[in-house]
Amino acid sequence: MHAHIKQRIESTINNIAALPTMPEVATKILNMVNDPEVSFKAVAEELSKDQSMTTNILKLCNSAYFSKGKEITSIERAIVTLGIKEVTNIVMVIAAKPILDKYVIGYDLGKGELWKQGLIVGTLAKKIALQKNRKDIADVVFTGGIIHNIGKTVIAIFVQNTYNDILDEVKKNNITFNEAEKEIMGYSHQEISEKILEKWNFPPVLKAIVRFYAEPDKAPDNFRTEVSIVHIANTISIMAGIGIGSDGLYHQLSKIALDTTKITGPELEELFSKIPELSKQIMEIQ
Amino acid sequence: MNGSLINVGVAQVKTGAQPAVLRTILGSCVGICIYDRMKKIGGLAHILLPNDTANGANPEKFADTAVPYLVQYLLKEGAKKEFLSAKIAGGASMFKFEANVSLGQIGDRNVEEVKKALQKFQIPILEEDTGGNTGRVIDFFLEDGRLKVKAAGQEKIYYKV
Repeated sequence: MHAHIKQRIESTINNIAALPTMPEVATKILNMVNDPEVSFKAVAEELSKDQSMTTNILKLCNSAYFSKGKEITSIERAIVTLGIKEVTNIVMVIAAKPILDKYVIGYDLGKGELWKQGLIVGTLAKKIALQKNRKDIADVVFTGGIIHNIGKTVIAIFVQNTYNDILDEVKKNNITFNEAEKEIMGYSHQEISEKILEKWNFPPVLKAIVRFYAEPDKAPDNFRTEVSIVHIANTISIMAGIGIGSDGLYHQLSKIALDTTKITGPELEELFSKIPELSKQIMEIQ
Repeated sequence: MNGSLINVGVAQVKTGAQPAVLRTILGSCVGICIYDRMKKIGGLAHILLPNDTANGANPEKFADTAVPYLVQYLLKEGAKKEFLSAKIAGGASMFKFEANVSLGQIGDRNVEEVKKALQKFQIPILEEDTGGNTGRVIDFFLEDGRLKVKAAGQEKIYYKV
């Protein structure tokens, strides 16, 4: 372990200003929709306060990815036509893009690759939830899938400095890249993701997804299904080379995730085979 | 970098002539680079799965359909079969997975099927950078047919054509 790296990571995560920021309106909406009493008027009012958010929402509402056919010209119409949850998904796409749509050193991800992976994993996770009759969690796994790797943007610079040691640790101890991150740097990127979501006041289920997506066996029981779905979506994405970086496929496909979601081998292969079509679908909102 | 860079996505076949460079990023998928050393044209097929299950509707996605698709395209562009050669890369596997999950072996199955498909056309595979657990970014330079493979922070260049 590199003690000085660990210290530097600690001072980074304790310095709120060094962590990515989420627009206030996004956090507000995310917490509002979790309240079953919330009125669509209140949500519309909140969104309308942010002019650039409003413009972006209307643009995405009318993209082939989200559109229901009819042209949408106001936030109220958007909520009525698409529903509060889908509009929240759109808000999350808009809010996460500037944080994820960049070059990530250390992991050797070209500009836009982490962002593309987020969209693919979110889309795939939603698809899995619907396929398994879990419409109730389809939206939260979509958001969780989009931001599951957010900690990489912060820890990347330290991975850059210790990459060879991390890889040696993987091979020497037969552990995954994420486990080796923790061994060498004192932190894994998942822990950093959790810190970021804490800063943002995000709900516990999303914190569980980013913290445990790589090790669903350690997820709290009440969120294991959500975590497992994002785990599987992420695995499929990196196997198809989307968002695969210097950490390669030094990861696991967890049996517990397969058991929890009851996804069969043929279903996995079917999802994998749909990656090219999904890549086309997300192009418009990329 | 010389020439224009052409990105090849998952389940896509792209072709070009010197000085173009074809680039793709591979996990368990396989990148098949075919080159005519006399005419200096070539193509890259990025296949996702070994065998066609779409009845020909999506030839660029599968090893057994993408290879004929690419070869025929190059021949139409004036390539000569006797001057064609191939390099292949990719086909990595997940580091840890359950033995009974067939998707875990998809990388090996892809490599195997690609070899069979190339053999049918008697196109020799001159270089192979496959297997393992690393992702690969590959650049196929059509000026001389060399292939650069970047994996786990290291670069290798394969020159044989």
